[in-house]
Amino acid sequence: MWTRRAWAALLLASLAAAAAWSAGDASVARREVYPPEFPAGDGKALADRYCQICHSASLATQQAKDSTGWEKTLAQMEKWGIRPTPAEHDSLRRYLLSHFGPRAR
Amino acid sequence: MLGRRDFLRALGLSGVGVLAGSALRAARAWAKAADAAPELIVRNTWPEHWETTIEALGRAYYTANSRFFVRSHFPVPEVDAAAWRLEVSGLVERPLSLSLVELKKLPQVDTVHTLECAGNGRGLYHLPSTAGTQWERGAVGNARWAGPLLSTLLDRARVKPEARYVWFEAADRAPLPDVPPFLRSIPLEKASADTLLALRMNGDALPRLHGAPARIVVPGWYGMASTKWVTRVRLEATPSDNHWIARGYRYVYPGEDATKAAPVETIRPKSLITRPLEGCEVHGSRIRVEGFAWAGPSGVKLVEISADDGATWLPARLESDATGTAWRQWSYDLPLGRPETVHLVARATDGSGESQPAEARANASGYANNSMHRVSFRVD
Repeated sequence: MWTRRAWAALLLASLAAAAAWSAGDASVARREVYPPEFPAGDGKALADRYCQICHSASLATQQAKDSTGWEKTLAQMEKWGIRPTPAEHDSLRRYLLSHFGPRAR
Repeated sequence: MLGRRDFLRALGLSGVGVLAGSALRAARAWAKAADAAPELIVRNTWPEHWETTIEALGRAYYTANSRFFVRSHFPVPEVDAAAWRLEVSGLVERPLSLSLVELKKLPQVDTVHTLECAGNGRGLYHLPSTAGTQWERGAVGNARWAGPLLSTLLDRARVKPEARYVWFEAADRAPLPDVPPFLRSIPLEKASADTLLALRMNGDALPRLHGAPARIVVPGWYGMASTKWVTRVRLEATPSDNHWIARGYRYVYPGEDATKAAPVETIRPKSLITRPLEGCEVHGSRIRVEGFAWAGPSGVKLVEISADDGATWLPARLESDATGTAWRQWSYDLPLGRPETVHLVARATDGSGESQPAEARANASGYANNSMHRVSFRVD
């Protein structure tokens, strides 16, 4: 069972997604280019819960960052109000790094 | 604990059902458009980060409102235009509070300016590790913007001599209360010169996604300065210390001190090839190569193309007049051999003599990538 806070976050996310979906001219052909959901894995539930308070998953799924980069991002988001426990923080960083690590460029 | 059923009930009670209904209608229209070539690339669903395709940009000198790129930091705010007022406050002799009706009665200007997101091209930098939306080439657009010049408001408010900067506050807010609001400040000199309070875009009332009922347009500056959903214009002696000014939107180059990084401000010269499109096949003995070029306040002076990967450069014809900081349409009639693969490159030079680099120097946040645009196509 999810916590009340997780459901509240999902409610907020649903509101924002519905508003975004209906914004603009829907007859204009649009193409999504990044995964719209976080991929399965240890940490997905945390990413769903914390990242999608403020933005859709695709803002994260298009990123490519090393461990320092994701740590910096998490520190910024915690400063701005998400409150993962230390264990959740580590789990989230590992998840993001394993799925959205540096690109071979 | 809240269960799934409670959540669904909450959805209904909170009015999401209404939103979901409009979303369903939108989804049907979207599905209808799904077979068409995409005109907008959704890089983030919400807040909206939508990029215009090169093909859609190439169709017209003015970018249609419905196809104009969208970049929002936070969810689009609900602003009641009838109740909304613009405040002019801070270091002024006579603070103002103006309704939309009152603003429309002021002298209006109607000018053409190109807006480009500072992150346009971020996804094309060769960075192994990068943050931010991975824009490619279409976070740019050209539109007619109409409304009073900011100088009209500043004159009426009587700016005090100690004022040096103009801060723009806006109605959009992040879902989490500790996130700093999006705020920009620009020098008073720029605000008094050609900065606009736009109420209209391409002849229509400003769309909600683009800042309705009013937004700032700072000609020749990257888009982050052109604050959407503006609510207050504040005159201050110093620039704002807001996160987005003091730490965000800075050119931090590898090995350099981030605290001394230069701010992202004026647009660097850039050109875009809109015809032919990458990878297409061309028939015939000639092709009219077309595109747009834009720059900061000094405007575009020259556009050149190369069909031999930069060994020789040919001046393109500038089709449109230099108007405000609008982009300039350019073309070149290129003779073709056959069969061959042509590697085209375009470069713009601005009024100060600065030209596009072959590869722009990457900075940590991926701003202002004005590397030359290259297009390869096959002649058959």
